[in-house]
Amino acid sequence: MASQGTEKALALLRRLPRVSLGNLKPNPGAVKSARRGRGIYGGKTHGAGSKGSGQRQNFMRLGFETGNTPFYLRFPYQNYYKGHHMRLSYAPLCMGKLQRMIDTSRLRTDVPVDITQLSATQLFSINPMEKMGGIMLKDEGIDHFQATLNLEVQWATEAVIASVERNGGTITVAYYDPISLQAALNPMAFFKRGVAIPRRMLPPQNLIDYYSDPKNRGYLADPTEVARERFVLAQKYGYELPDIRSSPNQEMLLERKDPRQIFYGLQPGWVVNLEDKVILKPTDPELLEHYAS
Amino acid sequence: MLLSRPNILRSLGRTVAPCRSLHNTAWLWCFRSAVSLDKIYPESDLDLTKPQQIPKTKGHNFSGYVPMDKVQVTYSRSSGPGGQNVNKINTKVDLRFHLASAEWLSPELKEKLATKHKTSITSDGFLVIRSDKTRSQQLNLAEAMDKLRHLIYTAAFVPPPPAVEDIERARRRHEAATRERLRQKKLRSVTKQGRRAPELS
Repeated sequence: MASQGTEKALALLRRLPRVSLGNLKPNPGAVKSARRGRGIYGGKTHGAGSKGSGQRQNFMRLGFETGNTPFYLRFPYQNYYKGHHMRLSYAPLCMGKLQRMIDTSRLRTDVPVDITQLSATQLFSINPMEKMGGIMLKDEGIDHFQATLNLEVQWATEAVIASVERNGGTITVAYYDPISLQAALNPMAFFKRGVAIPRRMLPPQNLIDYYSDPKNRGYLADPTEVARERFVLAQKYGYELPDIRSSPNQEMLLERKDPRQIFYGLQPGWVVNLEDKVILKPTDPELLEHYAS
Repeated sequence: MLLSRPNILRSLGRTVAPCRSLHNTAWLWCFRSAVSLDKIYPESDLDLTKPQQIPKTKGHNFSGYVPMDKVQVTYSRSSGPGGQNVNKINTKVDLRFHLASAEWLSPELKEKLATKHKTSITSDGFLVIRSDKTRSQQLNLAEAMDKLRHLIYTAAFVPPPPAVEDIERARRRHEAATRERLRQKKLRSVTKQGRRAPELS
């Protein structure tokens, strides 16, 4: 049974004519008249207040600071900073450092190396909230790189891709949105929160072309086209492309995440319980549909 | 190429399904969302290790393919400034192959290379390309490959025959020039004759 107020309102609706522009009026006091005050209660200061620039009709423009250079004029406009609030930055990792990390057993090569593995070395400080997108590989030290890896980073140049592939490895560039990146950087801290693993979001408009290009080994590119680009790059840089099919690590080298996945082996929607060492999976069809979309 | 295993599918639920992973040796039970690669590229076989067809070189059309096992690459130290790095690291690249016995080039191309780029060919018949442009061995090798391809493409280049209009234009201009030259010659001759003493006949 609806409340009395609701019943009264419904009764009103039933008997009153249809609401139109012709029978609407603002509440009293909502609209103030623009007229100058005249007469007894609009008199004396006539709506101009007392003293100051307001009464003397000498209004200072917005931002004026009585003569000194105002805040909005103190800083020159620099084209360098145009759109800086939308641009992502990446933590650099040169190939020489990557080789050193492997040689000193700081990084495992028997599992796919993604942002989670690289962040576990604790050699990088990546803050997704400060518009950092992850890790980028730089081509300093490509001559010293000798490891066979399944790499997944957020940005890589052509020379870096060539140096990884000539050693028999594979490299992919993948996008992580800030929330997914925060989860991927510290999985244990994320699991302790007890929330369901979110879906990884697709890249924004300015980055979707980069991640769909087989030349960059984007994670959204067609693997058949990537195979062609691997061949072309091997010809460009002058090495024989090693056959992954005859490699003992074939399975590991070809392991890839789904574009919506953050962790290998874990799906969006699952809740990882570290205390009881169980994984809770949703059963509701709506939830399953949402997490698989 | 997707195998169907209905009894397993039913027990595991909708989202976990056999997927075409990037390799064909084993079936991986992996997660597939609505934006997985097999949904974005339904016609593709999603094979990262697909062997590529090697393009062939015929006549003057060089395909661009250089077989790395038929070419000898040696490294040495580069010249110039650079301190300890340039003294110790082998960044200079020497790329060579015996031109006459190269099966990956057509006979026409080999002939053209021998004539046009004979300064790059040694007395033993090896075409040599060197590069020490950058500080990296790999980038220098890429530069040497680029130089090699450039050599072959410039040797293979056959300029197209001139168009009929161009030949016609050239002929007309040549004839006009000849006519003008003879006219000037005649004028000069008349001037010179005028300076001679008149013939008293």
